[in-house]
Amino acid sequence: MATPGGPRPGNFPPNYNPNALANNMQNLQINQPNQQQSGNLGGSAPRPPNTTPFGQQPPPFTGIRPGPPPPFTGIRPGPPPPGVFPRGPVPPNAPAQTTLPPNMVSTRPTGPPSVSQPPPIVSRPPPPGVLPSQIGGPAAPSVSGPGPRPGSVSSSPRTAGPPSPTHMSASGPVSNGPPIFAPGMAQSGPQFPPSMGGMPRPSVRPPQQPHVLLSRPSSQPPQVRPGFAGPPTGASSAMGQPAPPFSAPAQNMPPPPGSSPFSAPVPGTLQSSSSPYGMQTWPPQAQQVAPPPIPGPMQQQPRMFGMPPGGPPLPNQSMALNQTGQSKIDPNQIPRLTPSSAVILHETRQGNQANPPPPATSDYIVKDNGNCSPRYMRCTMNQIPCTVDLLSTSAMQLALLVQPLALPHPSEEPIHVVDFGESGPVRCSRCKGYINPFMKFIDQGRRFICNLCGFTDETPRDYHCNLGPDGRRRDADERPELCRGTVEFVATKEYMVRDPMPAVFFFLIDVSMNAIQTGATAAACSAINQVIADLPEGPRTMVGIATFDSTIHFYNLKRALQQPLMLVVPDVQDVYTPLESDVVVPLAECRQHLELLLESIPTMFQSNRIADSAFGAAVKAAFLAMKSTGGKLLVFQSVLPSAGLGSLSAREAEGRSNISAGEKEAHKLLQPADKALKTMAIEFAEYQVCVDLFITTQTYVDIASLSVIPRITGGQVYYYYPFSALSDPAKLYNDLRWNVIRPQGFEAVMRVRCSQGIQVQEYSGNFCRRIPTDVDLPAIDCDKTIMVSLKHDDKLQEGTECAFQCALLYTTVHGQRRIRVSTLSLPCTNMLSNLFRSADLDTQFACITKQVASEIPSAPLAQVRDQATSICVNILYSYRKFCATVSSSGQLILPEALKLLPLYTLALMKSTGLRSEGRIDDRSFWINHVSPLPTPLIIPLVYPRMIAIHDLDEKELDDSTIPSPIPLSSEHITDEGIYLLENGEDCLICVGNSVQSSSLQQLFGISSVEEISSQFTLQQYDNPLSKKLNAIVNEIRRQRCSYLRLKFCKKGDPSGMTFFSHMVEDKTQSGLSYVEYLVHIHRQIQSKMA
Amino acid sequence: MDFSELEGIEGLRWSWHSWPTSKPEVASLVVPLSIMCTPLTPFTELPILPYEPLNCSQCAAVLNPYSRVDYVSKIWVCSFCYRKNPFPRSYAHINENNIPAELFPTYSTVEYHLGTGTVSGLASGLVRSPSALSGLRSNSSSFSSVSAYSGGGSGLDWAGVGVAVGPAFVFVVDGCSSPEELEALKRELLHTITRLPENALVGLVVFDAMVKVYDLGFTECLKVVVFHGERELSPEQVAWCSSRVGLVSTKVHDNTLAVREGWVRNRVVLAPVPLLLSCQGAFGPPSHEAVSWEGISSTKKGFLLPVSECEFNIMTAIEDIHSSPLVKPGHRPLRSTGVAISVAVGLLEGCLINTGSRVMVFTSGPATTGPGMIVNSDLSYSIRTHRDLHNGYASYYKTSSEFYKQISHRLSDSSIILDLFACSLDQVGAAELKFPVESSGGFMMLGESFESEQFRKCLRHMFDRDDDGNLKMFFDASIEVVTTKDVKICGALGPCVSIQKKNDSVSDKVIGEGGTHVWKLGTLTSKTCIAFFFEIEHEQNAQPSSAFFIQFITKYRCSNMGLRKRVTTAARRWVGKHSPEIASGFDQEAAASVMARLAIHKAQRNLAEDVIRWLDKTLIQFASKFGDYAQEDPSSFRLSTNFPYETAFFRLMLNREGVVNSLIMVQPTLFQYSFDGPPVPVVLDVCSISPDVILLFDSFFYVVIHYGSKIAQWRKLGYDRDPSHESFKKLLEAPELDAEQLVAERVPVPKLVKCDQHSSQARFLLAKLNPSVTQNSTHTEGSEIIFTDDVSLQVFIEHLQALAVQG
Repeated sequence: MATPGGPRPGNFPPNYNPNALANNMQNLQINQPNQQQSGNLGGSAPRPPNTTPFGQQPPPFTGIRPGPPPPFTGIRPGPPPPGVFPRGPVPPNAPAQTTLPPNMVSTRPTGPPSVSQPPPIVSRPPPPGVLPSQIGGPAAPSVSGPGPRPGSVSSSPRTAGPPSPTHMSASGPVSNGPPIFAPGMAQSGPQFPPSMGGMPRPSVRPPQQPHVLLSRPSSQPPQVRPGFAGPPTGASSAMGQPAPPFSAPAQNMPPPPGSSPFSAPVPGTLQSSSSPYGMQTWPPQAQQVAPPPIPGPMQQQPRMFGMPPGGPPLPNQSMALNQTGQSKIDPNQIPRLTPSSAVILHETRQGNQANPPPPATSDYIVKDNGNCSPRYMRCTMNQIPCTVDLLSTSAMQLALLVQPLALPHPSEEPIHVVDFGESGPVRCSRCKGYINPFMKFIDQGRRFICNLCGFTDETPRDYHCNLGPDGRRRDADERPELCRGTVEFVATKEYMVRDPMPAVFFFLIDVSMNAIQTGATAAACSAINQVIADLPEGPRTMVGIATFDSTIHFYNLKRALQQPLMLVVPDVQDVYTPLESDVVVPLAECRQHLELLLESIPTMFQSNRIADSAFGAAVKAAFLAMKSTGGKLLVFQSVLPSAGLGSLSAREAEGRSNISAGEKEAHKLLQPADKALKTMAIEFAEYQVCVDLFITTQTYVDIASLSVIPRITGGQVYYYYPFSALSDPAKLYNDLRWNVIRPQGFEAVMRVRCSQGIQVQEYSGNFCRRIPTDVDLPAIDCDKTIMVSLKHDDKLQEGTECAFQCALLYTTVHGQRRIRVSTLSLPCTNMLSNLFRSADLDTQFACITKQVASEIPSAPLAQVRDQATSICVNILYSYRKFCATVSSSGQLILPEALKLLPLYTLALMKSTGLRSEGRIDDRSFWINHVSPLPTPLIIPLVYPRMIAIHDLDEKELDDSTIPSPIPLSSEHITDEGIYLLENGEDCLICVGNSVQSSSLQQLFGISSVEEISSQFTLQQYDNPLSKKLNAIVNEIRRQRCSYLRLKFCKKGDPSGMTFFSHMVEDKTQSGLSYVEYLVHIHRQIQSKMA
Repeated sequence: MDFSELEGIEGLRWSWHSWPTSKPEVASLVVPLSIMCTPLTPFTELPILPYEPLNCSQCAAVLNPYSRVDYVSKIWVCSFCYRKNPFPRSYAHINENNIPAELFPTYSTVEYHLGTGTVSGLASGLVRSPSALSGLRSNSSSFSSVSAYSGGGSGLDWAGVGVAVGPAFVFVVDGCSSPEELEALKRELLHTITRLPENALVGLVVFDAMVKVYDLGFTECLKVVVFHGERELSPEQVAWCSSRVGLVSTKVHDNTLAVREGWVRNRVVLAPVPLLLSCQGAFGPPSHEAVSWEGISSTKKGFLLPVSECEFNIMTAIEDIHSSPLVKPGHRPLRSTGVAISVAVGLLEGCLINTGSRVMVFTSGPATTGPGMIVNSDLSYSIRTHRDLHNGYASYYKTSSEFYKQISHRLSDSSIILDLFACSLDQVGAAELKFPVESSGGFMMLGESFESEQFRKCLRHMFDRDDDGNLKMFFDASIEVVTTKDVKICGALGPCVSIQKKNDSVSDKVIGEGGTHVWKLGTLTSKTCIAFFFEIEHEQNAQPSSAFFIQFITKYRCSNMGLRKRVTTAARRWVGKHSPEIASGFDQEAAASVMARLAIHKAQRNLAEDVIRWLDKTLIQFASKFGDYAQEDPSSFRLSTNFPYETAFFRLMLNREGVVNSLIMVQPTLFQYSFDGPPVPVVLDVCSISPDVILLFDSFFYVVIHYGSKIAQWRKLGYDRDPSHESFKKLLEAPELDAEQLVAERVPVPKLVKCDQHSSQARFLLAKLNPSVTQNSTHTEGSEIIFTDDVSLQVFIEHLQALAVQG
């Protein structure tokens, strides 16, 4: 990040991916929006050409924003190299996250950071003593006021903490890489923390924390805090720590008293505290979060490890609330999300054992030493149950989330490309599994045993190598395929049905009256025009363009003549394509024509009076034009398709009247209207055409029906509603740009293989399925995740490892055929407690979300909601029944690893998809959006991140640092504050009614709340506050790989309602508050127990 | 009187000038009662009457010189049905010394011009009666004054009304032609466009595997609407598509407005009447052009625009046409000729009902895809032959013919003309296409290349303009025949379509296009000739030597959209049994032409051999009946060529041209040029070839100059450049000059072949000569031999005589 321009790339090895990444990252011009805006507004727009990402960026930024910008642009995902990133500091976090999170945290009431490390110790009740030390650091922050400072606080602890990481690892089965990482990180890390600015405060806080902890039990703590925060209760409450929370627990908890400080009570406190801390920077928070969770459990967990198997014996359970009197729950003790702020260094294996990955939402750098990076593949649990029974007892699901082309962290080692020459990669002759580090060579290396099917194969002569004394091949460390979890093989002819396809991009633009008048057409044309420069260079890149209303207009771009030729296809029932040869042409041959054409399209159709849209026919016709090659079809659509093939009706209106009659069938509106589009989509997929839909509309367009096409062809839907010509073009451009420049592959086939005993039950995501074992992906990119649910077909042996291998055969944008193989080998266990301990919350929740989302269209809403709750309840019940020893039935006991499950579940039920009010299209979009969404983005989608921005100047944040998040509860929102809430798609800025006008002036260039209109574009003004805000927004964009839609919200407005609808912890008309929900769940568990 | 002189007055050729009164007698004539009518024969003196004709209220016959007029009571008696009709007020001043031109005895043919939007006939009847009366004068004076109007048809000042939308032309171009061919074609098209009157509407359709219609009103860029070449479009679809597409074009409204303004402007300039509405109000029925404009503005948009509005665009579009490069090896290019025509017709249907419009197809190969395809694009399938057609091996023939028949109905319904210009060294498959071309009266040209002089001249000839700048084209014609009671109408052969309108004078016996007394013609030229067939009613009441009448009423539209009605009334006599007048009234040339048409008509349904047999039989019968006469030999008309498209072409032309030209086709002419004197016609026999003469051969489609071997040798030696051999030079020049003259006047322009004796090109001549010397006969030194199995005329006649005597 620090390095503005393209520097980063340099680091990367030659490997294809890396470069691509680097490019992409840099290319992702987050700032652009600004530029554009400025351009639009002031006309100053530097917007420069879109041309080379690098070169360009600088200019834009400079113009707009002085400092930080550049960095953002490039990097998207993780914080860049340690050095670069401010965040880096976090070493502590890393460890924490990795293993311990659960136990540690809980145990360690202390601030998240510290917690994690201490785990081992902490776990025991005794730790108390220990805690203090560690806690002291962390805890303090939590106490203190709202978001801002917490961060700082935590950081401080961390600096100290470095050692702790190691602990962490210890706690986990495997030791984490912390040490290694530490060095590098350490430097950066330490520095940053301080810089966080939090420093000063942190120091302050710490002291307090202790108090908090103590107070915790009583629930009084809240009061205390208020003081800190400055803003009294209100503020405190916001922090989440506030007293109220756990009153209940406190009461119930016997433990509190005695252990209060540390054990039980602590947890609560921690959490609460943590939350405040969390505020710091994202990463940090995460860590903190972990700890905070219920203290109780934490302790237990540690033991669990040591403990005997499934034996319920373990005492350690987190019990949060107790709950006899349900009513009393200390909000402060409620489990909360505590982001971690630092970059974690994660080694995929340690001590020849799988190392559980850090939380998906955290910032981490992976060192692949056998297992693949969790970015590519992660499992819902990091130990695999040996039997079906054990799995079903746990009530958790066994599934993989596979993201084969995920963006690596810039500092990670690029994926090695291995070329076996003509013979192709070595594979098991029975199951066709690819060679990987877990294949066992025997008999002097002459044969090898497949870790997937157990078959013994002869080693190919060329590949033979003697074994060393340790039983490994002597060349194992030199051969990436024998020492890396992820490698890429060069595909031989055998893997090609035809020559690798060229990169084909076909743009299809709606020019019906509505699209023209709303400015959607102009926005699309402008975006495309700018993006052309970003398309892959080279003779293999082809483009085509067509427009449509009630007819389809192709353009012959390859012409000696000056003006383009428009070819109108009037038959929209049974479409066809005019001359196949000249509609899709090499980019190099038509660049100028294309630019000219794109400039003139909006004027050409300026007075178009045709309101009808022959979407289906147009898509089909475009498909026919690209049928011979396959490729990406990018469709810009603005109205409900009303003519020709696959036309739709405005059934939303019908639906509305029906609903009044009876809500039974309401969900049918979320199903595709008919099979026409699906049939088409399957044909598209067969010919390797991937469709992305950019819906720029102001009306109902029946996304439920339209989205079938992207879903089956491996594409995605972008939704701009209500489309605004003022604020959306920038997002449209950035989305489009990322769409074409992100790492991606074409004509892909993916298959996941598992060790004997486990098999793939089902794949879900955006793809086409023609045979049961494989997934066909006309296109796949770094943002697409596929969920693979697994099932047992046999028992596994304790002490062995179970391997999963994902092989993706694809064609790069440059026309190389590659096979990317990721292998993950996890230990098998017979102990239930291990399952809970190694559960991966983010992955589990992502799976639940995807599963639930897919249910929405086929079942009544209430049923789906119940289903979500019962999933949660069943898991917690299983834990309570079999793993928790605590006697009191009055206690709600949460497994540390899954302590946020209830919160997330609650948030899920209040999400767009499961909310009963709201537009049909919004829900359809949500359902669709979730389907391919990677884990790190699902969490914020369901549980958005909210930060305060009115007090930015009080915080000494780094440019790239985002203030600590605030829990999503309206009690944390004050009239004097300005808050920013983002979920990876939208970014809402809520302005209180009593905000200081100077803040408004500085941030938005307006003097009073009244001047706010919901449509706005973020400007950068020449003041620190504005710069910080811009920096933050850009950082969020970078993290999310998404240019957020910015909206202003005013309390009391409908827009305000939108904002508050995201306050998932609040009690609402249709939903319980967080506390109530915990109680609700607890009751259900109790009734089950009984 | 010479038959051809009579033709000069009436425009008619009768196979029999005297008709027997009984049916059996008619049957024994062998050659049917028929009239070859050339409706627009250019007359040196043709009265043009600026008012509507007077029709008999009963039989609708037009007032004519044979009508009896009672000047006192102002009543006239129809010469056909004897009905008494009163004269209207406009004829109030009629009297024996002041009779209108149509009653003037020497005018067997008069022409009326009808409403054209400004000064309609009706209006003239009322408003201009005084001036009309000026035409009603006594004899000679009236004659002269009226004849001042003569002149082929257009061009009077009222023609200035041409303000109206002109005729419409849709050019349908084959994008599969080779680049060179296409260039030549484009050149010609561009030239044609520049020569069109400003108000003419134009459209452009280009086809290969797809059919592309240019939107000439779209200015942002070139815009075409693409129809799939494999899919048949129903008329509704075409209409729907074109209307939809029309709306698509954003500029449409503007354009339409512009067009309208342009039109109004034109109108103001050209016509003294400033406002359309006022015209209509003042002068009776709404004018046609107003109607058609409505049609255009509401539906057609940019596909058909007046040249004045889109000249630049259409020129650009034409220049933009490129040869479609994609041809699979071993395949013919994909041509969707059928759909292209269908689409073009659809465009015209949408906007120009009943005004003149032509679809002009320029192609260089057979249709290979979609409806109307003639042969598979795979070259391993060869194109069908006559024999295939008859044996049912031509798999596409039936469906294609069916398709084109439908097209021809559509053409006829909207008075659209289909022209086909096929230039290719290979076959283009015109047989299937012949039907619509023929029935619409369209023009068909088969040539070898668009670069050929032949093509250029043909096209330019079509767009010739008269002295007033109007195209010499006539559209939307209909011919109505009115007969005396005892004469029944059997049908017609020629470029016309029966509209199945029956009345008492329509016979049940049908010959050719029958069952009607009115026929429709998409277009006609001054040479278009139609053969009408008649018979005598069973119950014959007519007395020998009394007269019977036949009236031809030809209604047509000039290229300036002015409506005309030409009325020809002819009278002949009934004759009694065995009257010598029958034989003396036999016009062998007309008879030969008629028989040729009948032969073709039959040939389309039967095998060539059968037809020849039929001809022979007929001839024998005829000869035995009228043994005194040596007739022309219809059988020399050969049906031997095995290529349907070519014969279709020849048949089509034969079916259209007048007697003289038909005869040339049936029996070509051969002139001999020698040092011995002026050119003399010689026998069409191989004996006529001799080394020291030049022969000029004219078979209508070919004009061959054949140099005897000695002449050729001399020429090669350059004697013609030797001043001392002036006469030789002249001898060489003479036939060339004559040939040029022949070529210049004829459409389709004949192919001019110059050849030397024994050269390969000489085959054009030899093929047509009577094989009096064959490989079977004695061979004389230096003479020509024809290798053939056909019998020579001499042998044929011998046989004929023998058979006739037997008969």
